[in-house]
Amino acid sequence: MNNAAQKTDTTPIIDTTCYAAATEAIRAEAAKLLTEQKVAVVIGYKAGRRAGTTLPAIITDPAKAAELIFSPACVNNLALYLTKAKKEVRGKGRIAIVAKGCDMRALAGLLGESQIKREDIFIMGVNCAGVKGSGALQVEPLTTGNIARKCRECAVHTPEGADLVAGTIGNLPELTPVEAQELAELEAMTSAERWAFWKAHFSRCVRCMACRQVCPFCYCEQCLCDRNCPQAVETTPRPAGNMAWHIVRAMHLAGRCAGCAECERACPMDIPLNLLNRKMAGELKELYGFEAGLEPVQKGPLAEYKEDDDQSFIK
Amino acid sequence: MAKAITEQNLCLLLDSLLKEGARVIGPKLAGTMALYEPLAHGDELVLDQLPHRSAKEVFFPVCENILSFERTDAGLQVTDVDPAAFPETVLVGARPCDAAAAPVLDAVFSWDYKDEFYLSRRRRTTVIGLACTKADDACFCTAVGLSPGGKEGSDLFLSPMEGGGYACEALTDKGERLIARYPQLFMDALNVQTLPLAAPAAEKLDMKRIKGWLDENFENPIWTDIADRCAGCGSCAFLCPACHCFDIVDEGTQAKGARRKSWDACGFGKFTNHASGHNPRDVQNKRYRNRIMHKFKYYGDKFGETLCTGCGRCIRNCPVGIDIYSVIAEISTK
Repeated sequence: MNNAAQKTDTTPIIDTTCYAAATEAIRAEAAKLLTEQKVAVVIGYKAGRRAGTTLPAIITDPAKAAELIFSPACVNNLALYLTKAKKEVRGKGRIAIVAKGCDMRALAGLLGESQIKREDIFIMGVNCAGVKGSGALQVEPLTTGNIARKCRECAVHTPEGADLVAGTIGNLPELTPVEAQELAELEAMTSAERWAFWKAHFSRCVRCMACRQVCPFCYCEQCLCDRNCPQAVETTPRPAGNMAWHIVRAMHLAGRCAGCAECERACPMDIPLNLLNRKMAGELKELYGFEAGLEPVQKGPLAEYKEDDDQSFIK
Repeated sequence: MAKAITEQNLCLLLDSLLKEGARVIGPKLAGTMALYEPLAHGDELVLDQLPHRSAKEVFFPVCENILSFERTDAGLQVTDVDPAAFPETVLVGARPCDAAAAPVLDAVFSWDYKDEFYLSRRRRTTVIGLACTKADDACFCTAVGLSPGGKEGSDLFLSPMEGGGYACEALTDKGERLIARYPQLFMDALNVQTLPLAAPAAEKLDMKRIKGWLDENFENPIWTDIADRCAGCGSCAFLCPACHCFDIVDEGTQAKGARRKSWDACGFGKFTNHASGHNPRDVQNKRYRNRIMHKFKYYGDKFGETLCTGCGRCIRNCPVGIDIYSVIAEISTK
């Protein structure tokens, strides 16, 4: 259970010229911003050595803007590089950042939590048809067969609130949702079945903490789970510690998680972490009518108390 | 005399070993991936893909108890783990990049402290290696002086043959003894036609030249270009056949618990955190620099070996696209 390809149609979803348009717009704007010194650094994507791959690019030289690209392999949530943990990037000055719709939910969250100031960033939004899932081949176009699971249910193809929107996407095909289906299956399970389900998945966890490291919201300078005086969560990859770690993380993300699914993508053991986070997001929606979106919100439901809050879960 | 074994007999070999009480570890389907795991039957073996994790955990488990303690009326009882009790093991289907890592790791585990947790498992394991007929663009064993047909670290080496089955070569006494134990399963083979080996695109790199540059460039600003993007996720270290850092913690309560050893990674933020709060590797690019230095310089300084077998797992799994082959290839041009 990862961003694995769905075995369906192999028709390309959009024309590859759309990516060329987005790429051109990003390159032009990045070069301009750096040359005019409106920003000190641009965070985007560039091509990797292996055909069809991309990786995050952190550039300060306007000449390097020509290396930036946008393609269906641009899966990374670059908002990661704006967090406290990345002092060496933030310290450079004003930052321009390439952001897909899902990434912008993370930016909105960071803005709402006072981790970044709106005037300190220039958001280069991208009209995004979707990115490839984990099972996709490196050199094939984006198709309904290989698109990432999160993209099948995307409501933010055209990001609002950006300073610039790069590229166009035209009409996109209807895609059968997969995550909603898995969530429904999870919700149909009894408590015992659900416990067994997660226990089985977490038995594969090796506590590499990749999920935490790639998450833009896991920015605590001292993670609760790294403390040992006193210790809240055991660090060894054993059942008790693993269950505790994932529960703690899901709770700390509830109402904040942008659903970018980077945690699931980064997990070397293919644990369906986004499913857990989507479930928590569903709980918050049901209990507090709250959903993480593109509007920076100063106090999410778990950071604020209202007199009329639902208390039915307190038994 | 050259030997060969049919696929059927390989399965029978594993079943026979299992029946005799040996632990047999080989690539097995585990959810969405193949992993080197204990087999219950020979037919669980899958040999069409590189296991997602390396084989190092046969000798160096993800997590193991090194002692246990309990407070009793008689005082604090400490119980050691007995390395002599580790089971006889056969690791089957180890790819050259995985098999070759064990002899490289032997040096550090038998250096200033003879680590019996590792060494005892090594002594008790027979490695059946398997040549690779496929490679992808992340494979680079050839760049670090190894090969898809490399026999380093194998006691018995299997090469897939035209028409099925494997040519077998015993490289050590352990390998000879394995064949001698089940002579009926192996056949003499004249004119063995093995399938062509995989041909990774990665060209051989001059490891001496790379080390020479690393010797002089600790403070080079190139490390920020290479690794400001590193998220410190630890996947590279955990999937690597050669990475071997570990943490030791006591877990349980004052009344009862265990001291445990589990995998650690130099990419983690707290890896070099001092009790004072000072951290000499305080930003991520310094931590990534250590990865490259350890693999391509420090391990060479200490033991005359490269701490990398070119398996490519770090490249395939890095969530931020750091490509160690690109890094060392670039360094080798400087």
